[in-house]
Amino acid sequence: MSTSAPVVDGRRLRSERTRQLIIEAYLSLLRDSTQVPTSAQIAERAGYSVRSVFERFPDLMSLRIAATDHAFSLGTANAQLRDLNGDRATRIRSQVETRARTCETWLPMWRALNINQGDSDELRSRVRLARELIYRRLELMYQPELSTLSEPMRRYTLIALEALTDFESWGRMRENYGLTIEEAREVWIRTIDRLLPATPAE
Amino acid sequence: MTDAVQPGDGGAPALGEARIDGRRLRSERTRRLIIEAYIALVRETGRMPTAAQIAERAGYSVRSIFERFPDLTALRVAVTDYSIAEARANGALRDLDADRLTRIRSQVTQRGGGCERWLPLWRVLSSDLSGAPDLQQRIGMIRQLIVMRMEMMFRPELSSVSDAVRKKIMLALEALLDFESWARMRELYGLSFEEACAVWVKAIDRLLPQTPA
Repeated sequence: MSTSAPVVDGRRLRSERTRQLIIEAYLSLLRDSTQVPTSAQIAERAGYSVRSVFERFPDLMSLRIAATDHAFSLGTANAQLRDLNGDRATRIRSQVETRARTCETWLPMWRALNINQGDSDELRSRVRLARELIYRRLELMYQPELSTLSEPMRRYTLIALEALTDFESWGRMRENYGLTIEEAREVWIRTIDRLLPATPAE
Repeated sequence: MTDAVQPGDGGAPALGEARIDGRRLRSERTRRLIIEAYIALVRETGRMPTAAQIAERAGYSVRSIFERFPDLTALRVAVTDYSIAEARANGALRDLDADRLTRIRSQVTQRGGGCERWLPLWRVLSSDLSGAPDLQQRIGMIRQLIVMRMEMMFRPELSSVSDAVRKKIMLALEALLDFESWARMRELYGLSFEEACAVWVKAIDRLLPQTPA
């Protein structure tokens, strides 16, 4: 008994590692091309057979869902709330830096997720959850300014902020207009500053 | 016309031309019905239709489709051209010389109506542009038209700032008034048409610089 346990664990660890490499191969293919990767491409990039892919994921939709969850956990880990108690300019800059980094890293994944969400309730629920998290984050970061507004105006401002700092807003600035990361951030900083009401005095 | 069909004085060629014109007209009508079938299917399902579905809806054979369009990408391009023409015909600039709030409201109502009408088609047409340079070019053109319209509507305010600031404002306005921004207000946040318009009106008013006296 004592000798078989490590063998099983070793097998499980290898299988988990293979699973992880398949997910990473899928994500890296998304970064390289706007096309949704095929199972053959994923297998080739991961260095496994197509059969190995389908031994770990019953179908490509399951792989997409697993990749989405992996991306969300990484994205959330790298987007901790910072400077919540900073002054207005610090909070805006902090929020924009985090959001810009997320958009820069995860835009291809986000696009693939949106293209495929129509086929899956699970993907749709993840898109909704991601949007809720973005909305809540904005609400927390700009709580002092938003607290000065009436309820409908507060909601309207949050919806506008969410639209302005959407993934595709970032994508357009970087891809269509050729802005650098710094220039694109400056657009968002200026825009948020104009959209928010005055910061109440302490 | 009457002279043209008199025997012995060139009537036969004119009749031939009329026949050709009739054929051309029918072919043009078939083409239009195929395009309209495509648009109707997208509005109903939100998905890219298959050739068989388009043929069935239009009342023609699949072969008829491919006699007029070499492939489905060419049909998508034709659908885009048709939609641009229709949107331009129905989206004349209004209230250009009005006060700030009237211009903002006019722009928002027109754009909201456009998003409401064209969102499903926009999603299908712009979803996969790889290998379709003609379609990419047209999607880019639609974006340019939207931006140009905003530049015209808000010229008084935009003329009062430097080029660099104007560019930043336009980028923000474009993101704000995007199709998917509208879609989220209507589908995700459950806002009515009027509420969604109010979000845009308030935000544009804050983003634009002061109107010069």
